[in-house]
Amino acid sequence: MKRSVIVALLAGFALLAGVPWLRLPAFYESILYLVLHWVLLATSWNILSGYSGYFSFGHGAFFGAGIYTTAVLAGKFDWPFLATLPVSAAVATALGVALGAVVFRARSVRGELFALLTLAVTFVLATIVLNTPIDGGPGIYLSAVPVPHLAPTQPGTFYLLALVGATGALLIAYVVQQSRLGVGLFAIHDDEDAAEVMGVPTFRYKLAALAISCALAGLAGGVHALFISYVTTGEVFSINVPLTVILMSVLGGTRHWAGPAVGATVITALLYAFTKGDLALAGKATTGAVLIASILFMPQGILPRLLSRRPALAPGTAPAVVPSADAAAPSPASPSPTAAHGTTLLRASAVGKSFFGVQALAGVDIEIRRGEILGLIGPNGSGKSTFINVVSGHFPATTGQIQFEGREIARLAAHRIAHAGIARTYQIPRPFAHLSVRDNVAAAAMFGGAALSSPKARQEADHWLAFAGLADKADALPVALNLHQRKFLELARALASRPRLVLLDEVLCGLNPSEIDDAVALIRRIRDAGTTVVFVEHVMRAVMALSDRLVVLNHGQLLAVGPAADVMQRPDVVAAYLGTAHAAEGH
Amino acid sequence: MLLKVTDLEVAYGPAPALWGVTLGVRQGELLSVVGPNSAGKSTLINTLAGLLRARAGTIELEGRDITQLPAHRFCGAGIALVPEGRRLFATMSVLENLELGSLLPHARAQRAAGLEHAMALFPVLAQKLKAPAGSLSGGQQQMVAIARALMARPKLLLLDEPSLGLSPLVVHDLFAAIRRIAADGITMLLVEQNVATALQIAQRVYVLERGSIVAEGDPDAMLSRAEIRRAYLGSEP
Repeated sequence: MKRSVIVALLAGFALLAGVPWLRLPAFYESILYLVLHWVLLATSWNILSGYSGYFSFGHGAFFGAGIYTTAVLAGKFDWPFLATLPVSAAVATALGVALGAVVFRARSVRGELFALLTLAVTFVLATIVLNTPIDGGPGIYLSAVPVPHLAPTQPGTFYLLALVGATGALLIAYVVQQSRLGVGLFAIHDDEDAAEVMGVPTFRYKLAALAISCALAGLAGGVHALFISYVTTGEVFSINVPLTVILMSVLGGTRHWAGPAVGATVITALLYAFTKGDLALAGKATTGAVLIASILFMPQGILPRLLSRRPALAPGTAPAVVPSADAAAPSPASPSPTAAHGTTLLRASAVGKSFFGVQALAGVDIEIRRGEILGLIGPNGSGKSTFINVVSGHFPATTGQIQFEGREIARLAAHRIAHAGIARTYQIPRPFAHLSVRDNVAAAAMFGGAALSSPKARQEADHWLAFAGLADKADALPVALNLHQRKFLELARALASRPRLVLLDEVLCGLNPSEIDDAVALIRRIRDAGTTVVFVEHVMRAVMALSDRLVVLNHGQLLAVGPAADVMQRPDVVAAYLGTAHAAEGH
Repeated sequence: MLLKVTDLEVAYGPAPALWGVTLGVRQGELLSVVGPNSAGKSTLINTLAGLLRARAGTIELEGRDITQLPAHRFCGAGIALVPEGRRLFATMSVLENLELGSLLPHARAQRAAGLEHAMALFPVLAQKLKAPAGSLSGGQQQMVAIARALMARPKLLLLDEPSLGLSPLVVHDLFAAIRRIAADGITMLLVEQNVATALQIAQRVYVLERGSIVAEGDPDAMLSRAEIRRAYLGSEP
């Protein structure tokens, strides 16, 4: 975390706090208030929606909850205005957390469904407020509520309050982005399932981000209630609030803590630069044109575009390590000194998994021994990937038990299984598309069993990238990698958490035979350093070279277990998997 | 010569991924392109399918320069791609996937014959026509991908890593099907990491390394060269 950013923010605050004493015309103070108001709202929206990708159309609900809390407490119960503000933030937070606690548990409510659901909450809330004594229909007047004297003028007071809120929101947004929470949210943005399997507690992180977001929106609402001094449900819960904050954040750049603030300033300034009579229309037209142009030419947002013009900090200084020969394979996080090789590391008992009545795994018993390389083979659709998905917690087993180092893990959340020391790769690579190759691996080192701090995680990442032969790609985005490199990125990511058990799902497919020989040596070194390896593979050359033991699955059931050479001779394995022709051909 | 590629250069950003690539595909042959990962094989095949734009050089199909055509017109010109990773329309049925392969007028006219041909080639698909393509096993999905490309009645079929992620038994069946397609007289360009098998079925081979063609010849000649064996077949297991 850079202290300079925080100092700059506080210095900016101190400087701007003097503005009310300049005695500007009230009109300008009000415009400045509105700019800061939108900075606060847009930044608060971005902490959940920009960072994690959960686009919320419900920001009007949280903002409105703040408005009505202050309006009711100050307007009907004569609370002092400033005393209502913490309550407004608290009510909005409570609403958000209640919503998130339900919605974030459902894997199906992502993307557009989440957006629609939050929008629906806004309308439900509006209906409740309108038809109960909270509002009752006529709206609430606040003109009798005294405005505290924080500045020489009333607009100056509102300006100061919004300045405090906006500065606070920017500080929070910055700190979140630099923290573990921020890295976790960015990972959720790109691939939530992969993040969870890597050890990110996704549910808790989303809820925390929503709570922060709602508290700030509630605060903004509380201040705004008195600023407008007459609140109605029609105005408060309109679709304009969420649309405006989304527009501002996207315009400024959702992946930067200050992006929404830039967008909010540009749009508010444009709208109010043309307020006189006929010019209002011209103002809206100009705003529209600016929006269209910037989305066309700066799809990442204004701020990231401006920042990207500066030279990159370390443009590919790492030497190209092609065959990963010089990087040692580090040992797992805690090598459990008492555990001897050959003892049981993981025992799956009668593990079954069905999808909508189709049995992908029909009760298999598989033992994984400490220090071995276990090959998992079988026809396509025989349940190999399902087994890996169940062990890693990607989805829970329908039946059966899984014990890892004597501990039952079959019902644990995926991120807890990752913390316990199990890592995996995906058959179809699932990198975090917006994180650099290095940050992809660093995220695993931060959130997995190793649980490193951010700078250490990046060192660890560089080590594993060298191991996997990707050192020269560390600063690239995953999109620049070909399939083979993406598979090795998956491998580096899995190893960076220093697992005691690593599950490799077809990392070798797509390699030619001589490349396979190199990769086989690589996987042996992982095992020699103390990590137990389970791998799913169709490439017979690798299966025969690597496996200490082989497990053959067929139709979700165990067909054979044993030393590779023995298993491959069995007629049932040949018939189900190899085919007679292959047995004759060899490879 | 069905397809003639001259001095092709393709780049992602400033660094070229392919340069000076000149090759020809003869009418009716099964041609294979082998090479290490990152050599540019997928770049080549995607450029021939029109998905990537050449920065320099020409692509001629039956003497007609198609280099500058938009991607969808490559299909109309007679080139069909079986992409790496299959890329089926997962929620649509197998039949819908196949029908989408024959959108163009000349293919649409022969849709019934094309379907019949696909079912003859891959009989197992006949029972799966109404199933969502995403619900099929990997091997069956690869069959649908090939059948979908054939529905366009292509002059040239491009196959990008068809054996990727498939079990040995399925791979064996798949290559048998590719042989049958070749026997029907369809010209094919095959990119495959399963080099041993690719060399068994191909009539001619190009070796691509670091974006350029470094060798060309018939498979037996290739196999007799020690450096090729070492680079692509590895040590004998």
